[in-house]
Amino acid sequence: MSAGLDDLYQEVILDHNKRPRNFRVIEPSDGSRKAEGYNPLCGDRLTVYLRVKDGVVIDASFLGSGCAISKASASLMTDFVKGKTVAEVEALFERFQRMITSAPDVPVEDLGKLSVLSGVRQFPLRVKCASLAWHALRAAAQAREEVVSTE
Amino acid sequence: ERDLLSYGSAVLVDIPGLRFTGTAREKAGVLAFVIDGIHPHDIGTIVDREGIAIRTGHHCCQPLMARLGVSATARASLAMYNTRADIDALGIALHKVREVFG
Repeated sequence: MSAGLDDLYQEVILDHNKRPRNFRVIEPSDGSRKAEGYNPLCGDRLTVYLRVKDGVVIDASFLGSGCAISKASASLMTDFVKGKTVAEVEALFERFQRMITSAPDVPVEDLGKLSVLSGVRQFPLRVKCASLAWHALRAAAQAREEVVSTE
Repeated sequence: ERDLLSYGSAVLVDIPGLRFTGTAREKAGVLAFVIDGIHPHDIGTIVDREGIAIRTGHHCCQPLMARLGVSATARASLAMYNTRADIDALGIALHKVREVFG
């Protein structure tokens, strides 16, 4: 693959697209929250579910349909936020947004597994795909059950 | 354009998992398709890197997308400046898409 594509469609991303983690619903119950992300111009649509107890995310999941980038981002995200406090999730949202909107030649902040998504910086059109799940995550963490969009 | 259309249809039909979404007898010079398990946006990004510009998404016709039972399609449009070589390049690029996604 050309250098740019290699950065975007890495093995990890292709794997998370093919076998998305936490691809399930969290039924309404104590501490459960959800928010939907929908980009009408491209059709990516997903719902992020959280279960929060004593300010800690004890479970995270998502459902929906969309491109490989949006699905992989959501999958990696739900794995990453489990066990984090709501405050940490907010901070993580900011760091992730900064990472995927930074210039391609800027060194990438180490966000563990999430750093694989830094390749999207070379594809400005796809940044909104990578960040859709995260906007829904933030809405859910803030207990705002609404439909968000990154378009 | 009609010649390119039939040439293009023949080339694309060889891509594993590809299905044309417009198959009327009298159709314009467009090749609209989906590929099993691969979102049109990802198709568009990869062929773009191969120097090929196609449109992807719902093409401002969501009701038709709903009727077809898809959320988006990829669409290569043919015009007077296109040649068979362009179609060949598209075919190669789509095989590459298949390769990337397995």
